[in-house]
Amino acid sequence: MISQFFVLSQRGDNIVFRDYRGEVQKGSAEIFFRKVKFWKEDGEEEAPPVFNVDGVNYFHVKVVGLLFVATTRANVSPSLVLELLQRIARVIKDYLGVLNEDSLRKNFVLVYELLDEVIDFGYVQTTSTELLKSYVFNEPLVVDAARLQPMSPAAIFMQGTKRMPGTAVTKSVVANEPGGRKREEIFVDIIEKISVTFSSSGYILTSEIDGTIQMKSYLSGNPEIKLALNEDLSIGRGDYRSSFGSGAVILDDCNFHESVRLDNFDLDRTLTLVPPDGEFPVMNYRMTQEFKPPFRINTLIEEAGALKAEVILKVSAEFPSSVTANTIIVQMPLPKYTTRVNFELEPGALGQTTDFKEANRRLEWALKKIVGGSEHTLRAKLTFSQELHGNITKEAGPVSMTFTIPMYNASRLQVKYLQIAKKSSTYNPYRWVRYVTQANSYVARI
Amino acid sequence: MSGHDSKYFSTTKKGEIPELKEELNTQYKDKRKDAVKKVIAAMTVGKDVSSLFTDVVNCMQTENLELKKLVYLYLINYAKSQPDLAILAVNTFVKDSQDPNPLIRALAVRTMGCIRVDKITEYLCDPLQRCLKDDDPYVRKTAAICVAKLHDINAELVEDRGFVESLKDLISDNNPMVVANAVAALAEIQDNSARPIFEITSHTLSKLLTALNECTEWGQVFILDALSRYKAADALEAENIVERVTPRLQHANCAVVLSAVKMILQQMEMITSTDVVRNLCKKMAPPLVTLLSAEPEIQYVALRNINLIVQRRPTILAHEIKVFFCKYNDPIYVKMEKLEIMIKLASDRNIDQVLLEFKEYATEVDVDFVRKAVRAIGRCAIKLERAAERCISVLLELIKIKVNYVVQEAIIVIKDIFRRYPNTYESIIATLCESLDTLDEPEAKASMIWIIGEYAERIDNADELLESFLESFPEEPAQVQLQLLTATVKLFLKKPTEGPQQMIQVVLNNATMETDNPDLRDRAYIYWRLLSTDPEAAKDVVLAEKPVISDDSNQLDPSLLDELLANIATLSSVYHKPPETFVTRVKTAAQRTEDDEYAEGSEAGYSESSAHTADGAASPPTSASNVPYAGARQPAPAPSTSPPAALVPDLMGDLLGMDNSAMVPVDQPSTPASPPLPVLLPAATGQGLQISAQLTGQDGQIFYSILFENNSQIPLDGFMIQFNKNSFGLAAAGPLQVPQLLPGTSAATLLPMALFQNMSAGPPSSLLQVAVKNNQQPVWYFNDKISMHVFFTEDGRMERGSFLETWRSLPDSNEVSKDFPGITVNGVEATLDQLAASNMFFIAKRKHATQDVFYFSARMPRGITFLTELTTVIGTPGIKCAIKTPNPEMASLFFEAIETLLKG
Repeated sequence: MISQFFVLSQRGDNIVFRDYRGEVQKGSAEIFFRKVKFWKEDGEEEAPPVFNVDGVNYFHVKVVGLLFVATTRANVSPSLVLELLQRIARVIKDYLGVLNEDSLRKNFVLVYELLDEVIDFGYVQTTSTELLKSYVFNEPLVVDAARLQPMSPAAIFMQGTKRMPGTAVTKSVVANEPGGRKREEIFVDIIEKISVTFSSSGYILTSEIDGTIQMKSYLSGNPEIKLALNEDLSIGRGDYRSSFGSGAVILDDCNFHESVRLDNFDLDRTLTLVPPDGEFPVMNYRMTQEFKPPFRINTLIEEAGALKAEVILKVSAEFPSSVTANTIIVQMPLPKYTTRVNFELEPGALGQTTDFKEANRRLEWALKKIVGGSEHTLRAKLTFSQELHGNITKEAGPVSMTFTIPMYNASRLQVKYLQIAKKSSTYNPYRWVRYVTQANSYVARI
Repeated sequence: MSGHDSKYFSTTKKGEIPELKEELNTQYKDKRKDAVKKVIAAMTVGKDVSSLFTDVVNCMQTENLELKKLVYLYLINYAKSQPDLAILAVNTFVKDSQDPNPLIRALAVRTMGCIRVDKITEYLCDPLQRCLKDDDPYVRKTAAICVAKLHDINAELVEDRGFVESLKDLISDNNPMVVANAVAALAEIQDNSARPIFEITSHTLSKLLTALNECTEWGQVFILDALSRYKAADALEAENIVERVTPRLQHANCAVVLSAVKMILQQMEMITSTDVVRNLCKKMAPPLVTLLSAEPEIQYVALRNINLIVQRRPTILAHEIKVFFCKYNDPIYVKMEKLEIMIKLASDRNIDQVLLEFKEYATEVDVDFVRKAVRAIGRCAIKLERAAERCISVLLELIKIKVNYVVQEAIIVIKDIFRRYPNTYESIIATLCESLDTLDEPEAKASMIWIIGEYAERIDNADELLESFLESFPEEPAQVQLQLLTATVKLFLKKPTEGPQQMIQVVLNNATMETDNPDLRDRAYIYWRLLSTDPEAAKDVVLAEKPVISDDSNQLDPSLLDELLANIATLSSVYHKPPETFVTRVKTAAQRTEDDEYAEGSEAGYSESSAHTADGAASPPTSASNVPYAGARQPAPAPSTSPPAALVPDLMGDLLGMDNSAMVPVDQPSTPASPPLPVLLPAATGQGLQISAQLTGQDGQIFYSILFENNSQIPLDGFMIQFNKNSFGLAAAGPLQVPQLLPGTSAATLLPMALFQNMSAGPPSSLLQVAVKNNQQPVWYFNDKISMHVFFTEDGRMERGSFLETWRSLPDSNEVSKDFPGITVNGVEATLDQLAASNMFFIAKRKHATQDVFYFSARMPRGITFLTELTTVIGTPGIKCAIKTPNPEMASLFFEAIETLLKG
């Protein structure tokens, strides 16, 4: 069980503080913040999520720049506490629509009411927004979402794509729309984070997809929903029922939200569930089956004399031209003695910026978007203050990349259909099935 | 509702409290609610709104749940400071606990349990009894937790009223939330009781396993954790349990997965069928790996647990090493843990892949990560004999990049590799030597010097290399000095030519005369003696074959590992420490003092976690060359290590840094002293001469009270005494007066002592080295401990005012404190008298909660003052001593003295 729960701002201000057991001194928030801010132990400069100071155990997670913290004196399950902290953030977000310092302060009475229902005497009672609705009476005051940082994974849909109803992700699950009527809609997001490591010769060393099917339902009356996935989906690498190479999607492992019923899953790969209110992951999955990486990165380094070298970075988008990636950043650490970098973009380049971050000797190349099938090149001329020791490739790199590709998923896992149990013939709620792929650790060694 | 809650934070000019009071008493409901909100807002920002207690409590009788909750929130906060007023609320609580609305019933019980006021607690029992049997599950589950609350306030009451039995009944409740809370409450009560309360029988087991399927994710964790204490009767039962728990591995909640893993691992110990075990291992692997797709915080917990699991069952993840490869954007704490596991999973089969990764990490930007990666390569070399050569070639490649910290780290691990595979890879020494002048870290330098010394015969210019270090000998850190000393001796023994001979002179001279480091000096003397008496013996000792080191990446002690594995999915498994080392919740049953436990907890900080093995991996070079004569590393030779009879005559002069003419002749009779003195030179060591001695203070003068007993067969005469340089500069102030001692006789004497005569530099130490000589025997030397209190003078008494003033005038940095957990103050008077007798003067006393705080002053010659604060609970073990002094460097000696005094 936990003793205290609190939320601190980036500056260490106490935004929310709830003591459940009175076992830990009141100054714990300050002790915690000082410890985290000046962490320096075992050569590490970032505090681990769990640590002990003077007999008090501190747990923390970072959510949109806020620190969610719990303390205890007992030998509790750390994964439970960390998971709980994430869930509290999600519940509060479900209620407030937007999670930030401002919204927390404006809704402090509601937040305390929630916290009293979520935890009793340090024991988690429930983190289901659905269940909480029956016990929580304060109504949220939704703050202006337009200028706020998004929090949830679904928030990535807000970027750039006009097809997406941008406000939906920052809409409170419980608050009524102006006009009193709620719009009947449901969002199913297939979010994949991909990690790829290319060797210096362009060969794929490791590749992995961490995927989530995220659901957020605004349907009234909680109707039953059926989600159908690829029929040829198989689970477990040792499981070769569908022959390899035939295009079947093979997941290494997956798990499901507790509301999901898997009665027909083995038969026809459908999931049945009555979605609770609020945002939740229907299914998490992991895949190491080979897939086609969306980007290829080519790095060419030419040494030009003792104190000069040229780096040529080429990024090729290997996905269909109907798809566009956005907010691409390519980074590469440069040798320590680099003093100056001259960039040369391809002629007519639009929406591209380059930078040499001198503090950490890093080259940064940002591209607003990349259309499928296209190729972009950057030339960077480096000047060194001192001769290099030999092989420049040992002192620079690797090249890493971050990006977001809406309406694209590398695993080819699909939601074939989304069926909502009909209440009447006229009942036809909005259904949004959205795909997005993001880079997790996308690295090309040089 | 309108407007924002934040408006409640705004204040008005016209005094806030009266205005709120007015609003709280208005007849309009909405306005009252707003007023309570304002009160709560003020409360949360730390304003004192307790004066509104009555007004707020008046708002309690309302049907409006929102308002009621606010009032309750206020009550919880202020009931403790206003217990008499809190009683006013009791009636409403009791009434609410019978309200038709289940939410109000539950709320009343929940809140009452949070008010830790005895008077309220009495009234809680009846409503709680009712609510435990309520029709509504929400009320029952709240009541279940409330029993744990009550137990925390008054354990007896819970047992007297049979609440534990009611909780046990709730285990069979038809609502899974109620079951889960009952289990949680029982587990907590059990944790805090010495006697068995909640024992899991096979009957409860099956009930709980059934409830598991219906529970919320959190309830599943409570139940799994409670069940993990269950010991299956046989393999069959264990298999059955595992079968019912295995589906939990598919849960999206990481806490459920880890608790299920814990339960399965535990039952697996009982399962005998290897097929079943193999199958279970196969089933556990994917969920464990999936944990690494969660948020980095959870990944960290998972990795710390996996670290333990693979030590016991390496097969589970033997084929999954790739998932532990570091991602570019992993936080550093995740990367470090992944490296640990990669080393543990490294095998002959995957080592090439692993080395490729390590090599890549070793060229990244983060210095700490790079260092750890380089060490990881070395640890793989030590672990996998067949891969050692490949590991070394990777290290050499890294050295060639000439990144300073990489080179230094590589040299440190290569030294270990040389220890592991002697006479195998020495060909690379030449490459290492190229980087010699870039080394600036002590450990790397020491490692390189060790290598040069160890292989001096194969390095043509070993003498030149070492000589280059010798110039800066006095400035080097102790670690490097020790290695230089040993390496030079090795060089000399291997190449006894003129160059090394001169070097050894320089080193021994430096290490004996110019240093204050006892380790270094003692080691130098040992070498000196060895070399001057028996060079062949020196060879046998110094160049002895060293024991081969082994891989320590599975370094946890098996019994500790067992305990940690039983604690998978708890904090214990993250810290890699047994729970009792950091759990600081005080058990109500066992009356342990809180302070003790806090002290324990503070030492059990995360930083010391034994799992951070990188440091342990590279055994420092000192241990490498020190093995044959570990005794020499004691800060000073113990009395038992008496010098051999063939000692060079003037070694004593060497040892004491003085020549013999300064010795005090012994020729006069003595005066006996009464109390038994501690024996410092036992007869067995002193060829029949026994010496007992102690420093004493008498009338402001310090004496060395000595007793000589001659148990030998010959008369002894011509006694002389000499004191080595020491922190207080103690020296004999007059001649030692001991007559000729016939066999079987003894003589006692009081030797007047002077302070501040031959001061030693360096950090203060209580060590007093004494040498005694007579005409018949070799020189005896022995160690005494200076207890500082003998120096306290009678002018140490201070007025309260000046004490306070001095205390305040000293900066906080001059305050030092220490706990003496084992010492008890039983009688105040006796203790004060005892301290006063040693010139520690009592200034004042105050009460702080249950503790008494005493203040004392004490002064040493030269005006060195100690202001002391002792905090203790009379009659209970544990004293905290805090001192403020202009000479904080003396604090440790002061604490030794006070410990001696308090122990009486």
